[in-house]
Amino acid sequence: MGVLITPSMIGQVVISGLLAGSLYAMVALGLGLIFGVMRVLNVAHGPLMMMGAYTTYWLFQWLGFNPYLSLLISMPLLFLVGVVLQRFLVRRVVDAPELSSLLLTFGISIALVNLAQLAFTSDLRAVEYLTGSFAVGPFALSKPRLAACGFAIAITVGAFVFLRSTRLGKAIRAVSQSREVAQVCGIDVQRIHLITFGLGSALAAAGGSLVAVMVAIQPEMGQVYTFKSFLVIVLGGAGNYPGALLGGLLLGLVEQLASLFLTAQVNEAVAYVLLVLVLLIRPTGLLKGRV
Amino acid sequence: MTMASWKRLAPAALAGVVFASLPLPAAAQTPIKIGASMSVTGTYAKPGTYQKQGYDVCIDELNAKGGILGRKVELVIYDDQSQPATAVRLYEKLITEDKVDAVMGPYSSAVSEAVANVTEKYKKVMVAPLAATTSIFKKGRKYIFMVITPAENYLEGLIDMAAKRGLKTVAIINEDTLFPKASASGTVEAAKKRGMQVVLQEAYPKGNTDFSALLVKIKAANPDVLAAGTYFDDAVAITRQMKELNVNPKMFGLTVGGDLPEFYNLLKQNAEYVYGSTQWDDSLPYPGQKEFLAAYKAKFKGQEPSYHTAAGYAGCLIYTEAVKRAGTLDADKVRDQLLKMEIKTAFGEYKVEPDGFQIAHKMVMLQWQDGKRIVVWPDDLANGKMRFPTPEWSKR
Repeated sequence: MGVLITPSMIGQVVISGLLAGSLYAMVALGLGLIFGVMRVLNVAHGPLMMMGAYTTYWLFQWLGFNPYLSLLISMPLLFLVGVVLQRFLVRRVVDAPELSSLLLTFGISIALVNLAQLAFTSDLRAVEYLTGSFAVGPFALSKPRLAACGFAIAITVGAFVFLRSTRLGKAIRAVSQSREVAQVCGIDVQRIHLITFGLGSALAAAGGSLVAVMVAIQPEMGQVYTFKSFLVIVLGGAGNYPGALLGGLLLGLVEQLASLFLTAQVNEAVAYVLLVLVLLIRPTGLLKGRV
Repeated sequence: MTMASWKRLAPAALAGVVFASLPLPAAAQTPIKIGASMSVTGTYAKPGTYQKQGYDVCIDELNAKGGILGRKVELVIYDDQSQPATAVRLYEKLITEDKVDAVMGPYSSAVSEAVANVTEKYKKVMVAPLAATTSIFKKGRKYIFMVITPAENYLEGLIDMAAKRGLKTVAIINEDTLFPKASASGTVEAAKKRGMQVVLQEAYPKGNTDFSALLVKIKAANPDVLAAGTYFDDAVAITRQMKELNVNPKMFGLTVGGDLPEFYNLLKQNAEYVYGSTQWDDSLPYPGQKEFLAAYKAKFKGQEPSYHTAAGYAGCLIYTEAVKRAGTLDADKVRDQLLKMEIKTAFGEYKVEPDGFQIAHKMVMLQWQDGKRIVVWPDDLANGKMRFPTPEWSKR
């Protein structure tokens, strides 16, 4: 029953892996940002992404809005949702033991999924916008995945530039490195927390808007991405933002290559084995330290 | 008999007379209570609600005809929230506290499997209309009866059509969970039996969204037929990625998902030529179909029944027909009738093996043609011709 694996098959799978990985990286960056700055593990990250996907869906359905343009709405919208969540709920657990923040965000996650079920029902939906692929030599480049990859790279680069070069971005990194010192320097830590949670949610929303054209949209679609994002930030080194990029691409590649050389069944298992190995050899993740 | 002994016996005798005379008229008055738990909320809310509608239509129909055994019928339904553990508790309550006269099955294999232990314990006959997993009926249980076709036979039609057209190779993929796994293994068996070669068989994890690597392998194996044991979101994702990666089998069939109107709504022209399998379709010429559809549409305005509705409706009819034939609610006598009964309802045929396992009910295969679901298999039920072979993506 074996299929002979040719170099062009490997090439195709590497392309698919990198396309998927760039999206993982962007979504995980949002989770990593929140964890780095507040030490809060946001289990509701996937459900926030789901809300981004629904935003795109409804805009497309009602107004015929271009799904990629809808990023301009879903990201600010979920930024606001993130700010509200931080202001009224997450703020209370920032300095509490990590279990408290896990419980709280888990609760938020359940609430969001159930709200979506009530408001939108569990019916599967899809944005049928871009299908098919470009043929480049022996390779097929999926149009929606290529577009998602392009936007994900642009948004991720944008986020890096923001964190590196703007005053606000530097303030966020300062709070991430040492809250006390940042406070002494006159940074309003509460405000930074609000903005960080908003940004993290906006990155999740971007992921949701981009996958909306590729997969079926339903209230429980986000959970998978919560786990993948955890995996990515631990692989890359929690709190290290370029690490998220590396972790994301690595996860995308490992999943696809495992599916090709072994079976699709084990691709998740292989990803977690990789995680265990990384933790054994480099407990801090692939890239060390907070940047 | 002395006076003294008569005096001692009199109250007992009197009580006996009173006791014997009371129950009969009372029984004619009290309705027969049929209990069930249903997944009205939770993961299975949608199919669960459809099934409950089937029960409702059946009960209305029975009562309009004067009930059964001269008594009206009443449904007692609780919400099990799609949780097997909750359902177990509810069936205990239905049988021991509410003292229902009979029970019907809940939604899904998982919940049916769990509650079957309760109904067996209290020796209650349970017709389980939406339990499709073979193993439930192979555990030596005596009182559980199957209505729908088992998972293993879902793609029997696809293989049959392919074999008749001389196709030789098949690739089979499935989500790595109970139902799709069973349907995939059944398809492998069917293909081997028909002399087809299985060139690739592989499972993928639940929630998988990127099928590139798997489809790249399928493309390399170049099968005539691709059969997929899917639910729904995976069915959509696989179809889309097949187009992206230009995978072109001559036939492509799905278990669950391909049959739903949503499948076409989501994929539009990309759903054309895809085969789906279903337990039931409203176009099938089964006896009582028109009456069932009319009653459904009168009761649930603006809605369309699904196969869950038809199966629930049929399951309820099958059970009550067995009660009528037995002339009693006694579990063992009703069981005897259910074992030897062969009937055809709006849902199709019913006949079980001695363990309650369904052997007569047939799946039908549909194909999407110009946005419509056309029944293309089996031949005697088909309402259109299959479009074969499926053209390449660039020519659709």
